Amino acid sequence: MTTSLAPSGDLAPSFQLLAALLTVLGIVLLAVELRRSRGSRIAAFATGSLASIGLLCAVLRPVAIQSKGSLVGPRVVVLADASRSIDLPGPAGKTRREEAARALGELAKHGAEVRLYGLAFGKGAPAPLTGALASGAAEGAAQGGAEGRLGQALLAARPMPRSDLAGAIESVARAADERPAAIVVISDGRLDRPGEAQAGEAIRAALGTLTVPVHAVSVATEAPRDASVRAVRAAGAAVAHQPLTLRVEIGCAGGLDCDEIPVSLRELRESGEPTVLASGKANASSGSATLELEVTLDRAGARILEVSIDAPDGDAVPDNDTRYMTIDVARDRVRVLHVAGRPTYDVRALRMWLKADASVDVVAFFILRTPTDDVVAPSEELALIPFPVDELFSEHLPSFDAVVLQDFNAAPYGLAKHLRSLSRYVDKGGGLIMVGGPDAFVPGNYAGTPLAEVLPVELDRGADAEGADVASFVPRTTEAGRAAPVLGPLRDLIGEQWPEMPGANVVGDARPGATVLLEHPTRRTPKGGPMPILALGEHGSGRTIALAIDGSHRLLFSAFAANAAGRAHGAFWDAMLGWLMRDPRFEPAVVELADGCIAGEDTTLTLRPLPGQKGDAKITIRKLGTGEEARALSARLDGKGEPLSLDAGKLQPGGYSATVEIVPSEAGAATSDGAASAQRGPTTRRDFACERGGDEWADTRPDPERLAAIAAATGGKSVTVDQIGSLPLPAATQIAAERRVSPLLPPWAWTLGAAMLVGAHWIVRRRGGLS
Amino acid sequence: MRARVSSVLLVLVAVLLVALVPRPSRAFGEEGAFNPRILLTGTARWEGARTTGPARWSEELTRRTSAPARLSPTTVRADAPALLAEPFAIWGGEDDVPALTEREVLGIRRFLALGGVLFVDDFAPESGTFGKAARRELARVLPDGAPIPIGTENVLFRSFYLLRRAVGRVEGEPKLEAILRGGVPQVIFAKHDVLGALARAANGTHPFVVVPNGEPQREQAARLAVNVAMFVLCSNYKDDQVHAPFLMRRRASEPSP
Repeated sequence: MTTSLAPSGDLAPSFQLLAALLTVLGIVLLAVELRRSRGSRIAAFATGSLASIGLLCAVLRPVAIQSKGSLVGPRVVVLADASRSIDLPGPAGKTRREEAARALGELAKHGAEVRLYGLAFGKGAPAPLTGALASGAAEGAAQGGAEGRLGQALLAARPMPRSDLAGAIESVARAADERPAAIVVISDGRLDRPGEAQAGEAIRAALGTLTVPVHAVSVATEAPRDASVRAVRAAGAAVAHQPLTLRVEIGCAGGLDCDEIPVSLRELRESGEPTVLASGKANASSGSATLELEVTLDRAGARILEVSIDAPDGDAVPDNDTRYMTIDVARDRVRVLHVAGRPTYDVRALRMWLKADASVDVVAFFILRTPTDDVVAPSEELALIPFPVDELFSEHLPSFDAVVLQDFNAAPYGLAKHLRSLSRYVDKGGGLIMVGGPDAFVPGNYAGTPLAEVLPVELDRGADAEGADVASFVPRTTEAGRAAPVLGPLRDLIGEQWPEMPGANVVGDARPGATVLLEHPTRRTPKGGPMPILALGEHGSGRTIALAIDGSHRLLFSAFAANAAGRAHGAFWDAMLGWLMRDPRFEPAVVELADGCIAGEDTTLTLRPLPGQKGDAKITIRKLGTGEEARALSARLDGKGEPLSLDAGKLQPGGYSATVEIVPSEAGAATSDGAASAQRGPTTRRDFACERGGDEWADTRPDPERLAAIAAATGGKSVTVDQIGSLPLPAATQIAAERRVSPLLPPWAWTLGAAMLVGAHWIVRRRGGLS
Repeated sequence: MRARVSSVLLVLVAVLLVALVPRPSRAFGEEGAFNPRILLTGTARWEGARTTGPARWSEELTRRTSAPARLSPTTVRADAPALLAEPFAIWGGEDDVPALTEREVLGIRRFLALGGVLFVDDFAPESGTFGKAARRELARVLPDGAPIPIGTENVLFRSFYLLRRAVGRVEGEPKLEAILRGGVPQVIFAKHDVLGALARAANGTHPFVVVPNGEPQREQAARLAVNVAMFVLCSNYKDDQVHAPFLMRRRASEPSP
């Protein structure tokens, strides 16, 4: 309870001022009058002045004000860094996170009269560390209890993959709730946003119209002894078959001997050891070095590169010595090698499509003459060139994105000895399509060869193996084929009905992991399932397609094809080649890792199925190199196409492939009837890598200068944890809860007093001879 | 009577069984074989000494190249859906042809729209009556297409043999004419009676004398036929960059005609 006086209880301040001015004027005029007169001037002046003041009091009628209220602390937002870099070594053998938790405790003690609102910043909008703390002089005891909660909340907070302070401040400034009187940032200063340059201006811009000081508390000032791969950047877009320069930034801090650090760059493979692409040495004795390594990536799509250094002795953070980079290799044009055993209408149709597609660069070799043909002409009158089989399948093979073997016999033209390298080509990411005909698959002498191992169907290697079934038939679309986006464009044109085919190559069961999209309506495999006609498979890093018919040209040229104006053939082959090249249009689902993958921490996969897909999604995560299964996940698809989050748990460092198989609901029901080859749904794959450190650990140096710049630009103060007591936090303000106004005297008393004083002054004037 | 009924039933069952057996209409691998079909319009019938020409065309193709071919070529009517079954047809004749019906125009137009190749062979180039009539009617089918001369610069002259000129039963003009689509011949006009040069009787004799150069010219006519077939089967394969240096060297070494 407080009591105070006020000049008036009802007159507005302007009238109060006017009355006071008139009173002063009256006294001044009295003084002037008395100066010109003779007689008792002092008494006249004293009584006159008192009379004037009495009149003023009668007009104003002064009051006493009694009020009740309390002190309320201003709201102070504390932004605590929860990015992964906060787990790096800090001062005195502690982590920076532990130091930040201590800072929160110190701040709670120092800011006993303010309301601290703790937020953890990292990626996106900051998350509350705990509820807003009501504090104040009267609630000091409660403050002591809350002190531990903030720190403990930070210690338990999940590390975030980024450190976006600017975004967090933007979020605070735009929040609809009470605006803070100050912001305190607790961080190591190694931030993604704002950047190193003009950090203060960036934070001022983030604050917008919110003009409050941003104080900074540095949780680390000394860099640990560490050599690291700080960044790997590509100089331009990665295009298959074209040289690409990668700039590798090597960092060295803490006094390590970094005169000559070996650097190696390798590409992770589906199976086997990584392939060394480049290597070099970096001199980072000045603190950092940039090494340029030139690489040529032959395969398009997502490629996992591993950049590692051999760190000098004493490296305190070995987790950032190896970094992984997922690089999306684009294609300038898809380079296709089209090899045909003889010219047919089927060859013609495929060639015309390949040549008509501007995005395809086709190199074609057709066998136009066999050794037994009688050309009836000397060679100089022929427009024939030798088939450069050795050159093509050894020297030039890696330059192609896909190889099409159409009705081609491996034996007579010297291809047999290159089948192993062709299978390795697939293994390393190349695409392969084998198109049927009298010289394809079993009759083409592929059974039992290394190439047969990469095909999505098995081939009978027996001496009496049947090569072809010459009975006409209409291929039947499987359940997987009905759901697979790869047949979507074709379905749009012709539905599920195919034209009649004059026969098919006899192939065996689909290999494990292969997807059968078309099957023979009557013919069975040795295991009893329908014989695959069109099967898609993955092998190593590459993809393969087996098309066991030679009549796909009927989609281009036939009475059947005329119904779709011949466009069905192009739609079919565009999708086949697109799927082979991992065109997202033909993938049954998209797998993403929004937050990347940090080894030892929970990894979340986001699965985005296509709308309309119903059934089960089976996700298998395998380690690149060994093929070892790391996780097997599943999810139910309801057909809405909503993204699904899948917890992949904690993974070890290294490269992984996540293969997603979509099993349609109908296919699941069909499993009981023995239709083994049709059970597997369309698949897609996503390669990714898990790092121990990640971006947040790439540069372990704290950056207190950046924090100081932020504080200076916003009128705040930058301190260490030990100096938190010197932070100028805003003072508490008193809030009134009850107010009572009472007059000092009743109005009549003021009037009587004024009248008596005026009367006394009149008597004195008369006695002094004044009028 | 009972025996007769049984016989009829037996025949019916046999017919049914035959109908149920999968139909090997063409052996696997023959589906895409070259088929020099004869296109018939109006009331025309395929008869005469040249009827052996298409089979000889196929025979020469399979003997000389790896390409498969239908050894018993068929005929197809311009207004029949079967015209769209394969991408090649030969339209030949000696005399004027009656105007194509609307159905025939539509049929040939659809055939060409799908990418078919039509070889127009004038069996009587001396008069040129058929050639003129065919051009007139095809102008109705392809109003925007006009034939232009094509010579050794065109892929058709190097699709298998390196040809220096076009010949048939008659030597005629060294060049062919063609309506191009996307730079590639789609309707090829020959004023050389190529089928006349190819025709061969069952006893191995040739019903038509090749003038003026006799059998060497017949051989050149066979090579032209092979080149046309290879062009149909491989399209512009020999225009690929990989062949260019080789073919340029070989052309350069040829003696001037």
